[in-house]
Amino acid sequence: MEGVALKFPPLKLFNPNFPTSPATTVTFSSSSSSSSCSASLPVSATAGKEADSALGTLSLGHLTRPDFPILHQEVNGSKLVYLDNAATSQKPHQVLKALQSYYAGYNSNVHRGIHYLSAKATDQYELARKKVADFINAEESQEIVFTRNATEAINLVAYSWGISNLKPGDEVLLTVAEHHSAIVPWQLVAQRTGAVLRFVDLDENEVPEVEKLRESISRKTKLVVVHHVSNVLASFLPIKHIARWVHDVGGKILVDACQSVPHIVVDVQELDADFLVASSHKMCGPTGIGFLYAKSDILSAMPPFLGGGEMISDVFLDHSTYADPPSRFEAGTPAIGEAIGLGAAIDYLQGIGMQKIHDYETELANYLYESLSTIPNVRIYGPRPSEKVKRAALCSFNVEDVHPTDLATLLDQQHGVAIRSGHHCAQPLHRYLGVNASARASLHFYNTKDDVDDFINALSETVSFLNSFK
Amino acid sequence: MSSSVSSSFRLVTTRIPVALSSTNSLFSSSSFKPTLSSPFLISKSISFQRIETRNQSRSPTSISASSSASLQPVEELPPKLQEIVKLFQSVQEPKAKYEQLLFYGKNLKPLDAQFKTKQNKVEGCVSQVWVRAYLDNDRNVSFEADSDSVLTKGLAALLVLGLSGRPVEEVLRVTPDFAVLLGLQQSLTPSRNNGFLNMLKLMQKKALELYVEAEKGVLESAQSSDGGSIHNELQSSKLESNGDASSSNSTVVGSSSEGEDSVSNRDVKASEFPGLGSRGTRIKEKLEKELGPVELDVEDVSYQHAGHAGVRGSDGETHFNLKVVSKEFEGKSLVKRHRLIYGLLQEELQSGLHALSIVAKTPAEVEAA
Repeated sequence: MEGVALKFPPLKLFNPNFPTSPATTVTFSSSSSSSSCSASLPVSATAGKEADSALGTLSLGHLTRPDFPILHQEVNGSKLVYLDNAATSQKPHQVLKALQSYYAGYNSNVHRGIHYLSAKATDQYELARKKVADFINAEESQEIVFTRNATEAINLVAYSWGISNLKPGDEVLLTVAEHHSAIVPWQLVAQRTGAVLRFVDLDENEVPEVEKLRESISRKTKLVVVHHVSNVLASFLPIKHIARWVHDVGGKILVDACQSVPHIVVDVQELDADFLVASSHKMCGPTGIGFLYAKSDILSAMPPFLGGGEMISDVFLDHSTYADPPSRFEAGTPAIGEAIGLGAAIDYLQGIGMQKIHDYETELANYLYESLSTIPNVRIYGPRPSEKVKRAALCSFNVEDVHPTDLATLLDQQHGVAIRSGHHCAQPLHRYLGVNASARASLHFYNTKDDVDDFINALSETVSFLNSFK
Repeated sequence: MSSSVSSSFRLVTTRIPVALSSTNSLFSSSSFKPTLSSPFLISKSISFQRIETRNQSRSPTSISASSSASLQPVEELPPKLQEIVKLFQSVQEPKAKYEQLLFYGKNLKPLDAQFKTKQNKVEGCVSQVWVRAYLDNDRNVSFEADSDSVLTKGLAALLVLGLSGRPVEEVLRVTPDFAVLLGLQQSLTPSRNNGFLNMLKLMQKKALELYVEAEKGVLESAQSSDGGSIHNELQSSKLESNGDASSSNSTVVGSSSEGEDSVSNRDVKASEFPGLGSRGTRIKEKLEKELGPVELDVEDVSYQHAGHAGVRGSDGETHFNLKVVSKEFEGKSLVKRHRLIYGLLQEELQSGLHALSIVAKTPAEVEAA
């Protein structure tokens, strides 16, 4: 006969965040606990003192997990363990609520209308823009252009700034570890303008060779396109230094911050970035919205990218005049609700604090790396973490003689663990590393060490299962 | 067999045999509603034994044959494929299905490196998959396939086993519907499914191409007596129907009949073993000497590969089926046995022998079978 056993997780009745208002924030104060981040809660929490002390031992992951409805389900008969955050992140109910409120309460076209709903929508949309600007410490909101995602933002720079500024023989410097979205637009533009693309290889630590990058910057370098954090190698690049080197020769830098903005403090003024791009869906916001940050003087000089309504000033039959940025680059009706959702996501993240998220994820990163290293015959790509070298909380890896797709399929089917297998939009990098594909597990602040343990156990079982057929 | 109580989290599901769709909606509504009132459903769990009915609910087609009127009926499939479908349907547990799939893949004859070409590569696969097709003597199409991913290889093996040796028309009639019947679809991600579909499509496309070429070949050779250098396997198959096999276990091209001259460049040396050329003889002698087998079959199947680039110019002995029963294999894994044989035949492999299909057993295994 089947037996039924009741099993309760340590986090019982506790739900620190209530869906009361869209702007619900939870303040966490940091503690000096070495093994996990603890937090104290605002008075509005129903938990009593007992729960407070119980909280002291809970990690940021445990505390925030209840905010993410999607995480609490089963797939294929097992509890879902979602480890594909580098591909896209999950959304807290605050963001879901914001979307719902928008569409149910004040959905209306922005910038055009005069009536109440339209005014409210416009206010919220522009407020979202301000939130993004503040989040990355841009000087002003006008330096934020909403796009569909980071890919579109890079294309915007390529087709608008690139086409009008690159001449034959000009160089655009990248690394072999760049995402396809950072490479392909520049290939297309290089074809059109006669500019030359140059790629910097990795060093022996499997990080782009920064010295080589520095040496490759010359008077001919008009643009450097680099990732802030690599989605495969988990490595960080010293953007501030690179920006300085390229500015010294009169060039510009475009930072692909898709894997950094969601996880660490990003300050565009401190980095002195000329262009910076990120996607909302990787930072707990909805899909369909992203942004380009660009210094206002650069943006003002750029010609339009997409033409249409909203980006114009006056339209005649034979010509038109264009609006000031950022409107100049936002043709047509934008993803209003989604932008507002992104604003809510930023509120949520700010409520936790990006430094806190960074610290917790550094812990997770080390734990993941160490745990994964215990799997026999595993090869993790990117640098070893150390005091000096920090890794993001993701690992791309291969197990000898096992195809990553077999791993990912069985992990999903037999264990409910969601990882990614393939080239992760970095074919040149995989070619450089000499592999067809790799598996990748990537974490976010709502993951816990338990998730890592589940993953490693499942991985171990899967590898044994597959090896038993050899 | 009793399933063990799992210690991992499981969401509450009802054990009442209500239509499981209602369970799913209970489950989905509870996981997407972030209400305070029901934190239990979100963060609590009850662990219990897996209920068999759950599997059936997930593979609707396994419940009854008449479940989907729109699916191609099993009876229309090639017989081997029907067998395979039925086998998978009888296995309920996803894990066991995987084991079965991997088992098929493991026993799939590896594909020669020379056939891993762009034309043979299946598009839309997350892993690398190659498929080749050739016509045999009865104008049936046969397939070989390979993949670097073991799950995909399993799928390829299903198709190879299920479709090989069948008339082209039959192969072309197969629709991908049977993939649903296997019950593997739920267990496979959409992208892998696409690979499966694309594999099937590529196999059908190749079968058709071979058929069309064969038809052309018939026409052309009917008009001229000199075959010249016609690539397709039809020549050998015509040859076989003209000639007569001298022994039951080998039908070597050119060894026994005169037939078409397109294969006349293959000289056949006299040998003491009926049906075997010089290489075949050498193989047989070597294996007899080194392995002292109680049973040894050496079959030259090079005719199946006649006409393709790798074979042309050689003496025609390129592909063999070997069956060896020897005590030397005791205590050795399958891989080790194969390696042993390959090791013994190194010279041949370096001088034109392309591939061996090996059955290596110990006397005990043969008796037990």
